[in-house]
Amino acid sequence: MKPGKLILASALLAMASVPAVQAEEAYLNYKSYCMQCHGMHGKGDGVNVPAMNVQPRDHSDNKYMMTRTNTDIYKAIKFGGPAVNKSVKMPAWGDTFTEEELQEMVGHIRTLCCEKELIRGVNFK
Amino acid sequence: MKRFLLSMVAAVVISPVLASAGEDGPTILDTRCAYCHNLKGPAPQTIHDLWKRDAPDLFYAGNKFRREWLVSWLQKPVRIRPAGVNYLRTINSTPHQEGKDGKKYDVLWGAVLKPLVHETLTAPEAELVADSLMKLRAGDELVSGMMVDKSKTVTLDQGEVLIDKVYGCQSCHQIEPGYGGYTGPELYTAGRRLQPEFMLSYIKRPKNWDPKIWMPNGNVKPEDLQKIVNYLILLSKENFDEAR
Ligand code: HEC
Ligand code: HEC
Ligand code: HEC
Repeated sequence: MKPGKLILASALLAMASVPAVQAEEAYLNYKSYCMQCHGMHGKGDGVNVPAMNVQPRDHSDNKYMMTRTNTDIYKAIKFGGPAVNKSVKMPAWGDTFTEEELQEMVGHIRTLCCEKELIRGVNFK
Repeated sequence: MKRFLLSMVAAVVISPVLASAGEDGPTILDTRCAYCHNLKGPAPQTIHDLWKRDAPDLFYAGNKFRREWLVSWLQKPVRIRPAGVNYLRTINSTPHQEGKDGKKYDVLWGAVLKPLVHETLTAPEAELVADSLMKLRAGDELVSGMMVDKSKTVTLDQGEVLIDKVYGCQSCHQIEPGYGGYTGPELYTAGRRLQPEFMLSYIKRPKNWDPKIWMPNGNVKPEDLQKIVNYLILLSKENFDEAR
C-alpha cells in the first residue's frame, strides 16, 4: 500500500471509530503475516502462490468481499479457511493475534475491498 | 619515524590473523558472529524488532541444532531460507513471472537469488564453535517433555499429504529443492539440521520460540505432530544434492 493510501485507510478507519494508531498496527500485521500469500497489494498474488494449489483470496475483489460479513472474515482469520468452508491453505491466526488485533485486522481487510462502502457507512454486520 | 609508522600499520593488519590461530569458541562467536546473530536472547518482541533482525537467533542453538550438522555447515554454509531471514526485504511486486492462469505474482529478487555469502570456518574452528553453540540452551524448558515416538511412522507419500493437503505447511516450506513456498526455511534438510525435540516443540507452537514470527500455529494434532517429525527425519535421508 502506498503511503497516501495508508493515510486514506487510516482516515476511513477513524471514521469507523477505530483510532489511526490501531489502523497502522493492523497494516503492520497484514504486511508481516498476510502478504506472503495475499500479496504486497492484497490481490491474492503473494510470493508463495506458485507453490499453492488454492489461490489466496484477492482482498480487493469488491464483488466477492461484499458477500462476506465481518463475522465471516473474523472467523476465517481466527480459525482458518475450514471455519468458513474454505481451504486449509488459509491458516488459522487465532494464536498469533490478540482479540483486539483480530478485530483491527477485519477493519483493515475492509479498507482493502470496500472503501466506498465504508464512506457510505454500510453496516457489514 | 616513517619506518616506525609502517611497522605499526603492519602490526595492526597482521595481529588479528595471528590472534585467530589461537581463538577459542566463545571468542570466535563474540568477534565474528555476534554482530549479526543474537547469542543472548530474548527473541524480538515486536514486529519492528523482528524486521530489524539480520540473522537467525542462536541463543537457543543447543536446543535446536544437531552438532554434526553445525560442524559441517559452518565449514560450507549454504542457503536454508529461500527468501532470506525476512521475506519482506526480498519480495518485489514488479510482475516478472507468469502464473498458470496468466496472473502475475510477487517474486524474489536481489541477493537471495545468489548463493549465500556467510562466514566460513576451518574444521578445528567449526568444532570449537559447535561446542560453544551447543552450550546455548535458553530453550531447555520448551523441549523438556518432548519426545519422538518412533512407532508413528509414515511413508514419504503419507508425510507429503500431511504437509501439503492436511496442514498446508508446503505453502511456505519446500519439501524438495524448488518444490514448495519461500517464506519458511527448507524442510527437506530439517531432519539433518534440527533436533527432533526442537521440531516437535516449534511446530506445536512457533510463538513460544519466536513470538512475532510469520509461521502460524497449525494446531497440529499430537498424533500428526509425531508423524510429521518422523516424516521430516525420513525425508532428510533422501539425496537432494543432485537436484540442487
Ligand atoms: C499460507 C498462505 C496464506 C496466508 C499466510 C494467509 N492467507 Fe488468507 N487465504 C489463503 C487462501 C489460500 C485463501 C482462499 C481459501 C479458499 O478460497 O478456499 C485465503 C482466504 C482468506 C480470506 C477470505 C475467506 C473467505 O471467506 O473467502 C480472508 C479474509 C483471509 N484469507 C485473510 C487473511 C489474513 C488477514 C491473513 C494474515 C493474518 C492471511 N489471510 C494469511 C492463504 C493464506
Ligand atoms: C553478516 C552477518 C552474519 C555473520 C557475521 C554470521 N552469520 Fe550466521 N547467518 C547469517 C544469515 C543471514 C543466516 C541465514 C542463512 C539462511 O537461512 O539461508 C545465517 C545462518 C547461520 C546459521 C544457521 C541458523 C539457522 O537457524 O538456520 C548458523 C548456525 C550460523 N549462521 C552461525 C554463524 C556463526 C558461528 C558465525 C560466526 C563464525 C556467523 N554465523 C556469522 C548471517 C551472519
Ligand atoms: C505462513 C508460512 C508458514 C506455514 C504455513 C508454516 N510455516 Fe513453518 N516456518 C515458517 C517460518 C517463517 C519459520 C521460521 C523462520 C526462521 O526461523 O527464520 C518456520 C519454521 C519452521 C520450522 C523450523 C525450521 C528451521 O529450520 O528453523 C519447522 C520444523 C517448521 N516451520 C515446520 C512447519 C510445519 C510442519 C508446518 C505445517 C504444520 C509449517 N511449518 C507451516 C513459515 C511457515
